[in-house]
Amino acid sequence: MPRLSLWKDGKHSNDYKFIDRRVSEMFTISGTGVLLHKYLGPAFQGNTGDVTQPNYINQSERNIQDLLFLENRDRVYDTSVYKLRGIYQVSDSAFDLTQFGLFLQTGTLFINFHINDMIEVLGRRIMNGDVVELEHLIDYDTLNPDLPTALKRFFVVSDCVRSAEGYSPTWWPHLWRCKINPLVDSQEYRDILGKITVRQNYDGTESVNTDSLRDLISTYERYTEISDAIVEQAEVDLPKSGYDTDSVYTYDRDNIDEPDFKVSGYLSGSGLPPNGLPATSGIVFPSNPTEGDYCLRTDYMPNRLFRYNGSRWVKIEDAVRTNITNNDTTNKTLRNSFITNSATFTDVNGRVQTQKQNLNDILKPKAD
Amino acid sequence: MSSFFYSGQVRRFLTQFIRLVSNFEVLLGKNRNGINSLLRVPVYYGDSSRNVASILNLNSENTMPSVPAMTVNIGSIKYDRNRVQEPYHVSKVNIRQRAYNPITGDYTDQQGDMLTVERLMPVPYMLTLKLDIWTSNTEQKLQLFEQISVLFNPSLEIQSSDSYVDWTSLSYITLVDIAWTSRNVPMGAEDTIDVMTYTFELPIWISAPAKVKRMGVIQKIISSIYDPADGITPGADTFDIQASILTSRRIFTPIDLNVLYLGNTLKLFVSDNQIQFNDQSDPPYTDGDWHVAVQGFGELANLPSTGNVLVNGISQVRLDNDSGSVVGTVAYHPTDTSLLIFNADVDTLPVNTLAPVSGIIDPLNIKVTSALLNPTVGTRYLLLNPIGDARNDDGDPTTIDGPALWNRLGQPELVANAYDIIQWNGSRWLVAFDSVATTSVEYVTNLNTGIQYKWKNQQWTKSVEGLYGVGAWSFVP
Repeated sequence: MPRLSLWKDGKHSNDYKFIDRRVSEMFTISGTGVLLHKYLGPAFQGNTGDVTQPNYINQSERNIQDLLFLENRDRVYDTSVYKLRGIYQVSDSAFDLTQFGLFLQTGTLFINFHINDMIEVLGRRIMNGDVVELEHLIDYDTLNPDLPTALKRFFVVSDCVRSAEGYSPTWWPHLWRCKINPLVDSQEYRDILGKITVRQNYDGTESVNTDSLRDLISTYERYTEISDAIVEQAEVDLPKSGYDTDSVYTYDRDNIDEPDFKVSGYLSGSGLPPNGLPATSGIVFPSNPTEGDYCLRTDYMPNRLFRYNGSRWVKIEDAVRTNITNNDTTNKTLRNSFITNSATFTDVNGRVQTQKQNLNDILKPKAD
Repeated sequence: MSSFFYSGQVRRFLTQFIRLVSNFEVLLGKNRNGINSLLRVPVYYGDSSRNVASILNLNSENTMPSVPAMTVNIGSIKYDRNRVQEPYHVSKVNIRQRAYNPITGDYTDQQGDMLTVERLMPVPYMLTLKLDIWTSNTEQKLQLFEQISVLFNPSLEIQSSDSYVDWTSLSYITLVDIAWTSRNVPMGAEDTIDVMTYTFELPIWISAPAKVKRMGVIQKIISSIYDPADGITPGADTFDIQASILTSRRIFTPIDLNVLYLGNTLKLFVSDNQIQFNDQSDPPYTDGDWHVAVQGFGELANLPSTGNVLVNGISQVRLDNDSGSVVGTVAYHPTDTSLLIFNADVDTLPVNTLAPVSGIIDPLNIKVTSALLNPTVGTRYLLLNPIGDARNDDGDPTTIDGPALWNRLGQPELVANAYDIIQWNGSRWLVAFDSVATTSVEYVTNLNTGIQYKWKNQQWTKSVEGLYGVGAWSFVP
């Protein structure tokens, strides 16, 4: 009679199978529903011209988007959602207020899945980058009752190992332990968050709302509105750089109605005549001017205001005041003229090229 | 009156700083449909209250924070000892505003308020700001780094307002440090969001409220003078107002120039009212040059001309004082460019309110002359010191108790105070002007020198001579 042994020289014995079915049954009975968004790999980026960012032919979770930084930024997730059962220890959590907003200080969970069931459903084990949704943590009662849907709770898998508690007496593992962190609305997960739209209201009727899940569940929109409000107020406080002298009356000691100067200061030139007097503008001076006429020459950079003194056009000031909101198209600063430059030119071969080009690319051959 | 004041000076700098680092974008890679997209990065203050953070989270654990994002917070604010300047310095600036039409909401082409703004030296502080950049991957971080980094080389100007009189609004931001990452490299067990921190320094000024007053400088007076050549037709017995020309005569008051009227000269002094942060104290007066000052109006020519030419010996300077204006013709001094020869028109001098005095005497130090011993009736003197004392008078008219020069036997004692005017009435000296009892403004001329004096605030001063500051004197072409 052979000696009694649960270890069968590396074979999955019937003992193992028996225990594994019981474990699976336990997950079915007592596990919580988990919806899993399966990571499929980085999105096709085409030919980037960069060897460290390969152009893959096949979609695979083994592809690496950036071989230099070793990161997959633009991820693609399966449009199918996989239903699994998982078990974890529910614990209290607390918010940590950071500069970034409220973070769940103890938001990291460790959840176990049955290995064979997982592989049967998913086709592979859960890996880093997979996104899970714990169905029982859905929030129906947020502060905004007008939200067209309840807020779901998403986590991203950040670590996976065989669970120590999942080894049976046969020494074979049955459980897959995943460390999951609260999901952050970032570039990596936009394929999930931006793809899901709200279709159903609470009462089951079809929603006319076309917001993506990201619009509802992320703080991005709210913080963008805050950011815009701050910039708007900043533009109220300081519409343009320099000092506003247009509201200052220019007093001419000679009592001339059209003064030949303007109250000035550091960066105070606006290109407007003193005291709100009328001016023409153009790339040439008007014909038959009369003394005291003002003209803003728009072909000068910055634009230049002249006054006709009866015999010649005399410079009054340059229009140097500008909106200084960063990257705004009305920002006329030197730096911004390089950055928001959308101008084009035609080269000797008749090709229209953009003026704004990166230094390292300028001399490289370009396609016709 | 409440002592409270707050104008959000640091708050406005924070607002402008956030504006400065706003509108940056990151380029996201192609999505499953092969489409690239740009994502604008929000910027907000990094030290929110828990209440607001909870509201932004919709009071739900399921709300997701978003990256990339940028947050700004104050790292420190310190008194900047190196930029301390004269704490008691007050700078004044005179401003004319354009009139504002509240109906249209626009400024008109007319002159509005004229203000004098007094500003107390602001207090220097060094404000340190932290800009945290939250990203989820290195490429994203480098995109933002590259865009932000070309902003500061090494500094960038920043303004908190565009007010022409706000001398604290302009500052600059200097990039002093970058902490590349908040994570360990490699990241270890946690895949947390990466934070890159820029540290900036802003030298700022915190200012007390200004004093705003109605402008105290008379800059322009237009007086209408009838021009008879155009107004009256020879032979006509009526005046045709419609046919007349009311010519306006302009009067110019140069700014920053002060005049000392002394004798028959006007001495020019220049005061510098330019606003400079580096001014340690009120600038002193310096001698001016009339040739330069006159250039602002044309020239002081030797021959009469038309237009805005001042004519040597014909054009006038007008001195305004509390009794009116003194006007006189001016001409260049032959040797001293800081002097103008001033011939005051006697008709413009204040009218004497008291009979003239023969002289000003100090009774404690006087040479006795026959004119004093045998004065004519009506002789008057202005005293610099008192004569006699009522306590010395014993009431006996047969004796003289006071100074013999001023008393006569059988006459009451003369008791006069300093600055009184005494007068000889034929038999004795008596007080004609009581300096103690008189509080009204009086004028009297010293016949000995021809100088007119003014009694005001219980003292005699020259009636028109003295310093005429900005706005108190003007050219009349």
